[in-house]
Amino acid sequence: MVLRSPLYDTQVKLGATFTEFAGFEMPIQYTSIRDEHMVVRKKVGLFDVTHMSNVWITGPDATKLISLTTVEDAARVEDGKSQYTEILRENGTIIDDTIFMHLGEKYMMIPNAGMNQIITTWLTEQAKKHHLKAKIQDVSRDYVILAIQGPLAKETLQKLTDTDLGNVKFFGCQYVKIAGVDCILSHTGYTGELGYELQITPPSKAAGVFDAIMNAGKDSGIQPIGLGARDTLRLEKAFMLAGNEFEGGRTPLEATLGWTIFWDHEFIGKHALLKQKEQGTFQRMTCLQCTDKGIPRHKCDIQQEGASVGIVTSGTLSPCLNIGIAMGYVAHDKREPGSILDIIVRDKPIKATVIKPPFVPKDWATKQ
Amino acid sequence: MTDEIREGLKYTKTHEWVKLAGTKAKIGITDHAQHELTDIVFVELPTVGKEIKKGEELCVVESVKSVSEVYAPVSGKITAINKKLDDSPETINSSPYDDGWLVEIEIKDKTEVNTLLDPAEYKKA
Repeated sequence: MVLRSPLYDTQVKLGATFTEFAGFEMPIQYTSIRDEHMVVRKKVGLFDVTHMSNVWITGPDATKLISLTTVEDAARVEDGKSQYTEILRENGTIIDDTIFMHLGEKYMMIPNAGMNQIITTWLTEQAKKHHLKAKIQDVSRDYVILAIQGPLAKETLQKLTDTDLGNVKFFGCQYVKIAGVDCILSHTGYTGELGYELQITPPSKAAGVFDAIMNAGKDSGIQPIGLGARDTLRLEKAFMLAGNEFEGGRTPLEATLGWTIFWDHEFIGKHALLKQKEQGTFQRMTCLQCTDKGIPRHKCDIQQEGASVGIVTSGTLSPCLNIGIAMGYVAHDKREPGSILDIIVRDKPIKATVIKPPFVPKDWATKQ
Repeated sequence: MTDEIREGLKYTKTHEWVKLAGTKAKIGITDHAQHELTDIVFVELPTVGKEIKKGEELCVVESVKSVSEVYAPVSGKITAINKKLDDSPETINSSPYDDGWLVEIEIKDKTEVNTLLDPAEYKKA
């Protein structure tokens, strides 16, 4: 069965073409990926990301359960804060990366598209196993998620709410009214631009909010954005896409997400990570910027002098840089910034340089 | 968006067009194909002199997110490639039937031309 967003009809009217992603029929683009990409870098764009999941975690041991099942110590995350983290297996590999929002007595977790049942089951099993009193509810189909992203996102959204968005810090979250509808707002995103994500329930209220945002952004040149540009936008910032970057079982250390690990607490997968850290010689996520023409893609081999040293997990043409860019896992001793490696595209090597992420720096558009 | 189907050309079901001139065939992708692909950002062309069989991969056209193969509508030897596409692949979007042509083939077997679609047949396909 293919699911559709409650905003499907709105998207058809706006001229979207659709693709199936993680069991959802979602807009891949409206005008073109490149056009939509630039709108988000320079102005403001509106995304429907309802395919992402929503899980409520409540009960007296909710904080303990999140701390046990993620690399974060949830006790450190204040009320009104969103936190990026990963959920691991015992062997240290990533089941999913996620953001959880601390909203008073409750937490809302946002697992990736299609991960709602897996994560709900995992958390429920762990709560039972560790005798934690927590209730885990998959409410993914009860929420529509919108993301408003781009340098003009704040002024656009401010027109629709009495809440002073100037007081909402980066990675802050709270309940707000947007266009008269109660939403959960989080000052987060997946584009590397200024932006917000909105959780809206019931889904029937979402079309009104969507239209109100489109109207409020009219003078700013707002456009609806599809999943195609969502992917190129995140890739230019070297943000992980779970289905690509964690495919086949990768640990946060391999994914260079070590900065997200709060070592000073017990969590599932910790022992495996400590062991891997000590051992040291594992492949690590690496950013490669092509100097030759050609576009690296998922699963292209990465070589040095004809010998395989890694594999591309995500690749695209960067709409901002107009050159091929790739993320992938590379041997620990072959990834010094400035190193030149070959990416094999259709049996031919393309030269690429190891760079420090991101590919496209903050405020890129203002410097053009 | 209406796709142009130009008169005077031959077509394939896989959205290539063929312009015949004596024993030479100029080949490109149709307006419909370029609309479907949207922004074309890279074209990998074959080398001149290469022999190719009908139905084989002739070249690769990439948009930001997709890689599409273009198939040889007829067999023959490649006699010219559109070098301009190396620097301006977007020409295929702006001019699919003229400046955005891909390759020229010296046709080996004239009877293969009969298997190609005329504009009315392509429109129905």
